[in-house]
Amino acid sequence: MRAGCSVPGRSRFCFPTERFEVDFGIDEATRELLAGAREIGRKEVRPAGLEADRNGAPLPPDHGYFTRFIARGEGRTRWLGPRGRRRDPGPRRTTVQSLLLAEEGAYWDRGIGVANPGVGLPEGNVLGLGTEAQKEQFLGSFLELDRPRWACFAMTEPGAGSDAAAISTQARKDGDGWILNGAKCFIGNASRADWILVQATLDPTKGRAAQRAFFVERSTPGLGGFKIEKKMGLKAYESTSFLLDDCRVPASHLLGGEKRHEGKAGFKTAMRTFNAGRPVIAANAVGIGRAALDEALAFARAHERTGDARVRDRIEAMARKLRMARLMCLRAGWLADREQANLVEASMSKALAAQVGQEATTLGMELIGTVGARGDHLIEKLYRDVKAMDIVEGTGQVQRMIISRNLVQLPR
Amino acid sequence: MFDLDPGEELALLVETTRSFAEEALTPALREAEHARGVSPSVRAAFEQIGLAGLEMPEAAGGAGLGSLARVLVNEELAAADAGAALALDPIGAALYPLAELGGDEAVDRWLGSLLGSDAVQQRAVLVDLRDARFVCQGDQLDGEVPWVPADRVDLLVLLGEDEAFVVRQGIELETIRGAGLRAAGASALTLRGAPIEARFESAAGVMRARARSRLHAASLLIGVLRAACDFSRAYALEREAFGRPIAHHQALAFLITDMQMALDGARLLVQEAAWRIDAGFPAEAEAAAAFAETIEASRLIGPSGVQILGGHGFMQDYPVEKFMREARTLSQGYGGFDAAREDAGRLLCTGPESILLSHGEV
Repeated sequence: MRAGCSVPGRSRFCFPTERFEVDFGIDEATRELLAGAREIGRKEVRPAGLEADRNGAPLPPDHGYFTRFIARGEGRTRWLGPRGRRRDPGPRRTTVQSLLLAEEGAYWDRGIGVANPGVGLPEGNVLGLGTEAQKEQFLGSFLELDRPRWACFAMTEPGAGSDAAAISTQARKDGDGWILNGAKCFIGNASRADWILVQATLDPTKGRAAQRAFFVERSTPGLGGFKIEKKMGLKAYESTSFLLDDCRVPASHLLGGEKRHEGKAGFKTAMRTFNAGRPVIAANAVGIGRAALDEALAFARAHERTGDARVRDRIEAMARKLRMARLMCLRAGWLADREQANLVEASMSKALAAQVGQEATTLGMELIGTVGARGDHLIEKLYRDVKAMDIVEGTGQVQRMIISRNLVQLPR
Repeated sequence: MFDLDPGEELALLVETTRSFAEEALTPALREAEHARGVSPSVRAAFEQIGLAGLEMPEAAGGAGLGSLARVLVNEELAAADAGAALALDPIGAALYPLAELGGDEAVDRWLGSLLGSDAVQQRAVLVDLRDARFVCQGDQLDGEVPWVPADRVDLLVLLGEDEAFVVRQGIELETIRGAGLRAAGASALTLRGAPIEARFESAAGVMRARARSRLHAASLLIGVLRAACDFSRAYALEREAFGRPIAHHQALAFLITDMQMALDGARLLVQEAAWRIDAGFPAEAEAAAAFAETIEASRLIGPSGVQILGGHGFMQDYPVEKFMREARTLSQGYGGFDAAREDAGRLLCTGPESILLSHGEV
């Protein structure tokens, strides 16, 4: 029997507890990051989100919120700049830190988090798969923002949501360029983006292997028909549909260049985004749920309801579930930081947190009663906002399919 | 900073416990249930590994490990046989009131003699007064406990609202069938004029003792639930109906997924609360919540494990019915689900303005 040390005559485990490495704590540096996010959240993010919700429209690109955002130095690309002129990367954020920040941001307003200037969703793809020239061309203006700038990633189509393999926007080789045709929908920040990374297929009958991503600049002829959708919640950012009508892009705009694309790399480009994204959405849902719970508790206290065991029970259950959902998120992020597979854990965090966030806002609505029916209470807004967390980046049902494929080899 | 890696030493302890449980407990699961106990050779192996005094101070002959080690070890043992896990441990949760209200000295005095390899294993038993009716008259106790998971009680520790008692005499046991955990025994316990041999007072100490007791039960539950998940999932991959493994019908695939999610989530809560105890942070609300969540998970997983096996699940040829009964039995103590929720809810509602859900700070 192996053991750390032995008492004479016996073999026992005898390990000092301080050598155990499990740690559920958050270190000082991260707590400072969170305190900063909380401060900005209270002063900037929450008011901006409420303004957009009241107006029923995204804040305009020249809104003071965005100018102050870039003035604080936020929204810059993670790219370090062209060779020979790399900037100091500074301390790199871990996935766990990013998730905690994603939670804190969504606590104050989740919609604003998406509306924030910056490269946003496609950044990881471009950093991971883009050529040096593409990084310079498309990320260069995000090194230091001279004005609020956006980019965006366009995958979803009217006929293809979570089933990302089913997209039908077509890319056709044309001389030394590509011609794109198709329709995209629910794309965040598309009409204000400098460029859109468009996911398209060379042959819709060939599934994932035939997919490619293309940079489409805003002024490209054939890109148009922008329509900003009216949404139930998350009104602070635009979800936009648009058309690609014989839209021609040069060969240099194929993400990663031609050589990249052998096998299934094209689809993996998209899936990489999804993989990193799921725990973030889960963390967002926890943040929204936590905001609802805090509001519900404040309401219960103000109306002397905390003496009611039924009210206490419901608050207890939500606090517990939110704590659990957060731990599931952090577990997925922790695995990512260690570069360990986190497919199941990422999907679990997303499936669970979205559900819990929904329940927390529901509890809030039920607690505030007819106040919630007025349409001007923060909880009512959170109730509308959080629903999307169970839809974007794969619905709860899609997450369960992914988990089942791993747990019981559920056939596709 | 957030890190779920147990490190080499703890991983080794878990691995060793798992091998022991798989080799010694799993094959004898029904045997131990019928015999209402485990064999002396199994007990000797258990002691040899050092599991008998896992959390006992080293000075008292224990391994001096903390709550995290406890919950990990309990999961491994209970994944094989939760009743045997109780039967094998001479001290169990009785440690907590003595440690939290009386300190090392009380632990050594009252529990030190229970460790060791006597021919017959002694047992200390903890009773939460929320689960019983007692009257205290002077230095004597009268009362009844409907069920304790033991066929002998050498030392009884009673946990009240702001005090704890030690009793060794005047304990009457009536052997009963027990709904589950029969490998540990099952008795109705009566005290008639039982002399109180020690009395400790501290409301804060009681809360901490109860937190640790709840984690003890919760981590055993986690083990049972893991066994139920694993067994029923394996079965669902083998059993075919309507032309394919039943696991490949989406209704069952999603059920299995939800069971696993419930287990993983509850386990994280249990481990976090245990970590808080070891780190010296307040953990009463967290431990109560972890117990409540684990019970909630067991409401899904216990019956679903049986459901997945259909008619076979209802028969005692398979262990899933045992898992279902034992998960339920483990959920009954320390005031059960409602008391756990009440304690956690009250602490939340009287706590800080914002439910930060704790970022690990005090």
